[in-house]
Amino acid sequence: MSFSGVHKDYRFWCLVLALAAMLALFVHPRERQKRPVYNLAFIVDISRSMNAQDYRLDGSPVSRLHYVKQTLRELLPKLPCQSKVGLGIFTERRSTLLFEPIEVCSGFAELDAAIAELDWRMAWAADSRIAGGLLSALEILRNGDSEVVFVTDGQEAPPVNPRYRTDFSAIKGKLDGMILGVGGLQPVPIPKFNAKGEAAGFYSAEDVPHRSSFGESNLNPEEIEGYDARNAPFGREAATGSEHLASLREPYLQQLATETGLRYHRLTDTEALNEALQTPEFAVQKPVDADVRWKAAVAALALLLPIYGGLLKRYLNRAINRV
Amino acid sequence: MNFAVETPWVLAGLLFMLWPLFDDGVRHSPYPWLDILPPDAFSTGLTVLLRILGMATIAALVLGLAGLHRTEQSIERIGHGANIVLLLDRSNSMDNTFAGRTPDSEEESKAAAARRLLTEFVAGRPHDMLGIAEYSTSPLFVLPLTENKEAIQAAINATVVPALAYTNISKGLAMAMSFFNNRELTGSRIVLLVSDGAAAIDPDSELQLRQWFKQQQIRLYWIFLRTANSPGIYELPTDSRNDNADAMPERYLHKFFTSLNIPYQAYEAESPDAMHKAIADIDRLEHLPRHYRERIPRQDLSALCYQWAAGLMLVLLALKLCEVRR
Repeated sequence: MSFSGVHKDYRFWCLVLALAAMLALFVHPRERQKRPVYNLAFIVDISRSMNAQDYRLDGSPVSRLHYVKQTLRELLPKLPCQSKVGLGIFTERRSTLLFEPIEVCSGFAELDAAIAELDWRMAWAADSRIAGGLLSALEILRNGDSEVVFVTDGQEAPPVNPRYRTDFSAIKGKLDGMILGVGGLQPVPIPKFNAKGEAAGFYSAEDVPHRSSFGESNLNPEEIEGYDARNAPFGREAATGSEHLASLREPYLQQLATETGLRYHRLTDTEALNEALQTPEFAVQKPVDADVRWKAAVAALALLLPIYGGLLKRYLNRAINRV
Repeated sequence: MNFAVETPWVLAGLLFMLWPLFDDGVRHSPYPWLDILPPDAFSTGLTVLLRILGMATIAALVLGLAGLHRTEQSIERIGHGANIVLLLDRSNSMDNTFAGRTPDSEEESKAAAARRLLTEFVAGRPHDMLGIAEYSTSPLFVLPLTENKEAIQAAINATVVPALAYTNISKGLAMAMSFFNNRELTGSRIVLLVSDGAAAIDPDSELQLRQWFKQQQIRLYWIFLRTANSPGIYELPTDSRNDNADAMPERYLHKFFTSLNIPYQAYEAESPDAMHKAIADIDRLEHLPRHYRERIPRQDLSALCYQWAAGLMLVLLALKLCEVRR
């Protein structure tokens, strides 16, 4: 008997190398890799016009708010772990934050429930001053590190006087984020609810103001029918219009986006929103310890198999001999 | 014992286990005539062992690659805790100090004091389920009852943004109680109301609230952050004409809560210290046993698989070194 000569067996070397691979596996199991994660704060418009039903889900019409909720809930599992999502609401002229961003994987159930519970009844007042709400959202979030996603249909109610527009210059470019336009371009009626929360028809033209009557008119007094500087700065005629119908005011939102340095995206479906949000501009590269043991394990397996490949070799040999 | 793998398709690699069945991995030596070798039980056993070892090594590697793990489990434990819904007042006045002034560097606002103390409270009660509702003119649903303390903390932190509008307490209470609807909960159910004022409850909601408080068996704590020189809970009217819910909402809300015949405790806090005492009190009182499920995070078994694979390879190598070479 002699043990010499074992080194002439390729199987021996395969085993030694496989063991070396395993050693590498235990020594170097993890590698630091950078992965994009997101930190998003969604501020959702819950004013009345968001009740307008111009989206469809499973064939039946749903309100804009319902569709937004559905989309956000579908978006949650698409975000990589360690991403954070915060939630806030907007109505009147202010935004408020319900909670600061929460990690999406460990807080999935909580986030999902909180989004599902968003309701127009949470509104503490009924106006819809989009620009004011946007400014307050940006002010709330300016010290955080989240990207703001302001979800709205852009319908100012009552309409703004172009003379008194919100000034975003102090905050422009301080924050990255997106204005997410919700709704269809075709005007649709806005549902009305009674004090008990039951549906009570729709808003009619008489229910809503159709122009701003705040301050001075932006028009030249000579052009205003029945102008009186003190008593009727906007004229004597009652304004008529279609402010009782809701449609996505896209040009207005795009203008706001330019003024605030945010992007604009129109909500169509979860997939498109996911793509729009998961851009490198919004991503934070976070070092994650990635498991790289599989590399060494595959190497070890590849080295191990030829040991039992004698059969294969015999067949090969036979085939070669035959030829 | 719930085993699962991360990437199931990798399990197809288990087919490689068949290879050692065709080949024992031993170097073949030429021998003149195999038939003259006597049958040897030991050799046969050794060959079988070699094949089994090879199969096991391959299996261990493939299972490790597939990411074998034990899934997340939960075991029921009994702890001391409660299901608490924090009902926070977000009316404008919460942004003032206890003296009713704009907060400055010396005095913190009522909201800031509430935030600080609630943070301590949450951190000190690991076995509670907590939920958060807020209210001003209308109720806000913030977070459902959860054990995720980080989420609760995030919601408490968010009250740093300016408060909203007025005080509509009855809707807030209704929202807080809705948290317990359709939930099988053991342990006590607590609504912890933190407010700095009250409002009259209209007769319609009063009836509804009475019913819900009874049905849900709720224990109510009211931390009333009293602003200096404002009417307190226990204040008696000096003029009988003022003895109504609109003039003295705090007194009447307290009366309403007392008349519910539910466990109820009011704390009138005129300074952050007094509020601290109230919270310490609740902390001491609410320690009824509560069944809760402790989550055992999933256990990664791939490391174990790789260790086994390496160990088996060592054995194979040792056996390889025992091979006879003529």
